[in-house]
This record gives sequence, C-alpha cells and structure tokens, in this order.
Amino acid sequence: MHRLRDTQRDFARFVFRESDLVPDDIVANGLAVEQRMAIYRNNTLAGLTEALRELYPVVNRLVGDDFFKRLALAYLDSRPPKSACLLQFGAEFAVLIAEFADARSLAYLPDIARLEWLFNEAYHAENISPLALSDLARVDPADYARLAFKLHPSVRLAASLYPIDRIWLSNQSDYTGDGLIDLNQGGCRLLLFRPETDVIMNRVGEAHFQCLSALAAGISLVRAVEAVMTNWPDFAVGDLLRDGLSQGLLTDFYFI
Amino acid sequence: MIQSHRNPQTRYTDAAIPACAGVGLRSQHYLDALHSPIRTGWLEVHSENYFGKGGAPLSYLEAIRADYPLSLHGVGMSLGSVDELDGRHLRQLKDLIARIEPGLVSEHLAWSSFAGRYLNDLAPVPYTDTALAHVAARVSRVQDCLGRQILLENPSSYLEYRFSTYRETEFLNQLAKQTGCGILLDVNNAYLSCQNHGWDASAYLHDIDAARVAEIHLAGHSQNPAGEGGVLIDTHDGPVCEAVWQLYQTAIRIMGRRPTLIEWDADLPAWRLLIDEAGRADTYLRQGYAQAA
Repeated sequence: MHRLRDTQRDFARFVFRESDLVPDDIVANGLAVEQRMAIYRNNTLAGLTEALRELYPVVNRLVGDDFFKRLALAYLDSRPPKSACLLQFGAEFAVLIAEFADARSLAYLPDIARLEWLFNEAYHAENISPLALSDLARVDPADYARLAFKLHPSVRLAASLYPIDRIWLSNQSDYTGDGLIDLNQGGCRLLLFRPETDVIMNRVGEAHFQCLSALAAGISLVRAVEAVMTNWPDFAVGDLLRDGLSQGLLTDFYFI
Repeated sequence: MIQSHRNPQTRYTDAAIPACAGVGLRSQHYLDALHSPIRTGWLEVHSENYFGKGGAPLSYLEAIRADYPLSLHGVGMSLGSVDELDGRHLRQLKDLIARIEPGLVSEHLAWSSFAGRYLNDLAPVPYTDTALAHVAARVSRVQDCLGRQILLENPSSYLEYRFSTYRETEFLNQLAKQTGCGILLDVNNAYLSCQNHGWDASAYLHDIDAARVAEIHLAGHSQNPAGEGGVLIDTHDGPVCEAVWQLYQTAIRIMGRRPTLIEWDADLPAWRLLIDEAGRADTYLRQGYAQAA
C-alpha cells in the first residue's frame, strides 16, 4: 500500500502544480515522464477552469478569457475540489477575486461572482410545493405572535453597492440593450427564486429585503415586522405575504 | 412540470438497457430527447451531474426516464484511490438510483482523489496484487451498499507504471471474477491505450472476459502533438474515428451484441448527427448478428 499511496500523493502534487517531481517508476516509452504527467496536469487544470467558466460566464465576459484563466489557476492553487461532484466546487470564487490584486480595478467583480454563485445554488435547490393560502387560513389567531415561515429552498438574497443586476443582465447572450450602465446609480437589493426550472431575479425595496432576510433567518413574522417598522413605519407586510404566497416563496409555516 | 408528450402518465417501466445503440445525454439535448421524432435506443448520463437536490437537471432526467431506458455512468467514485470511499458520494448515487431506476450503473477503473483533493480526471491504477485487492474490496463495498452490480470501465491512459505485474485486461477480468462486477468495454479507450503504450489492440479485445462485458462505449479522441507519434487523448469531442469503428466490429464478432453508447461530451453536434452516429453502431450490431446467425 505504501507504493500505491506514494504514487498517488506525488501524482496529485504534480497535477496541482505543488511540485514538478514526477512519481517514481513511470515508464517513459518514447516520451519523457514529465510530458506524460503534463497531460494529466493539463486535463485537470483545463477541465476545472472550464467548470469555473461555466459557473461564472459573466465574470468571464467582464475580464476576458486570458485573465479568467489566471483567476481560475489561482483559485485551483488555493481551493481545489473537495468532492468528485462539482456542484459545490467554485463556491469561494468571489473571495478569491476580492483577494486577487490585479482584479481590484473592477470593484464590482466580487459581487458579480457572488451573484453568479447564488444563481447556481438556486438552480440546483430542492423542489418544494408552495404553501396554500387555505392552510395558512387555519392558523388560530391566538398563535399569530409565534408564527414563522419557511422560504422556498431556492430563495437567495443579495445586496450590493453596485447595480449588479443590470451588469449581469447586460452580459447575457440574449441582451439587446446598449450595455451602458452608470455605476454611480447606486446599489441594489435582489431576490433570486426558482419557481420551476428557471431562476428569476427581481429588485426588492430595502424594507422588503430586511423582512425577507429576517424570515429566512428563522425570526417570527411579528418580530421581523417590528424590526422593519422601526425604520419604515409604513411597511405593509400584507403585500409581502400576498406576493410570497402567490409566487410560491413561502413553502410552510411553523411556530416558535 | 416537464413532461414527455409521448408518455406523460407512465414511466417507461422496462429498465433494461437493450442490446442496441444509445447516446450519452448532455443538458444541451434535453429538449431533443423529450420531443424530437428522431430517437435512439437508450440514453446514459453522468451520475454526478444529478447529485443536486432539485431543479431543472433532475426534472428533465425524470421526464426523459419516462420515455427511455437510462443508465448511470459515474466518473467520481475514485475506486482506485487510497483515500477512504466517500460515503456521501455513495449515498448520493444510491438516492439517484432509487429515483431513476437505471438499467445499468457503471464506474471507472481509476482513481481521482488523494487526501481529499479531487483531480476531476481519471488517473491510472498500477496493476499490482496490492491494488487488485484494494480495488476489489472497494468495488464489493460499493455493490453491497447499492445492492446491485456495477460495471467497471477500462481506462484511457497516458502512462504505465514499471511495477505493474498484470496486463490491464487481466486486472479487469480478475476484478470482475472476484467481485461479480461487469465490464464496460470502452473501445475508444482500449484503442487509445493500446496506441499510447504499444499494446496489441486485437489481443486486448480477445483477452477481455467477453461474458462479463455488459456495455460498450465508443467516442472520439484527439492527438496531443507531444513526443514522437504523439499521444492520443480521450476528449469525447468529435466523431468516432475509423480505426475505432474497425475495432468495434472486431469486438462485436468476439462478444456478440452489446448495448453500445456513443459518448460525445464536448463540442456537441446537433441531435440528428449524434443519433446518426449511433445509427452506424446499430448497423454493425445488425451485421454482426446476421453473421453469427
């Protein structure tokens, strides 16, 4: 087993560029062992770069193929896949971009990466049928104070100082606008949600965003609304509940 | 809800993969698979692409499963690794099998992880007694956990270990004999490895335990210019080359009809072209059958 372990250890180190020493006892057979190992290195690095490109197409469009490749290699150096299934791979790309000195001229880039990751999470989230109004109507008014909601597993909330939704939209392949975006127009608060198979993204107001964030964190409806109303006394939670029910954002309720 | 228009109410209940040609299904072809009048015998998908909790991939797969026999092909079990088997990965595969009821489940004779880091590639196993015992124990554990047989695919490789003591075919046959697993004969991989290492491809096919071969793969490859003569790389990005079609006909003559899959995973062609490629395999399967009869 020692030889098997040593071979795999040295092989993996070579592939992930930690070392240029090749594993022992590989047959050259007309080609340098380094060249044979380089094929495996290239397969891994090119394959995983492509996986990141598929996850982050807008980041790729914004920075170009060559710079994206540099970002991807830096990511693979620090955060290689931890499972064979790549659905969790690439989660920290926004963190890497924020750390990457050469990317700092695009201040909104980490937020774009974060948004693309949230799209990916929402896309693969569990399917759950929405809460029916008739079920909610059965709640005893005496229990209203303890009422809390479960949001659909695909719901994701994102806030940015930049208009990342417009940047994202203007970098989609079916976009037909002029692509001019005023970065000084201010930030946005976004709700991502996947009712069936497609993820939808909508801007929401600050009060709405704060209330949804509180509900998502498991805070009771009454306490969430109280907190929102300290800043927005006119906040109408009825609108949020009605929209939440009709769109399927709310999937269940419970008491706390 | 995504539904097949042909068979909206009932699942295509016969899970068995027929001994004819099928194609590997990628997401770009979901709508063609569901709605096109151009059909193939069966479909295969990469298991790991359906390890998510929900959404489009699983919805499409379930709809397509209502209409086609389907097999699951894993690329990540890392059966040859010295790492512990990934229990979560195994559970996810088991859940997917329960959901999809595939006709066949396959994995690779390869390793892809060391110390919890994954290569996203299929690295070669040394063919030694130690490795044989190690891989056999892991194949048995996987089969016990899944409660069914798996098929093991012969790898494509770009290097050999000097300390290997078995030929690849012997190693696979031994694994099949010791664990009861089946063999997925990838003719393109066999061709490529034989070219890359100077093995005799016809002997390779004759050496494989034909009775264990439950599925055949065909795919395109490309040439890496490094070194004299170059190395053939398993890219799955084009049509099956003529030399591989020749070898496939030899395989059918030796083994008889087997479910045969066209794998085309990158630079995908139109659905019609992909199905045409499968049609060529069907032609050879019928000819092989006629000769045998």
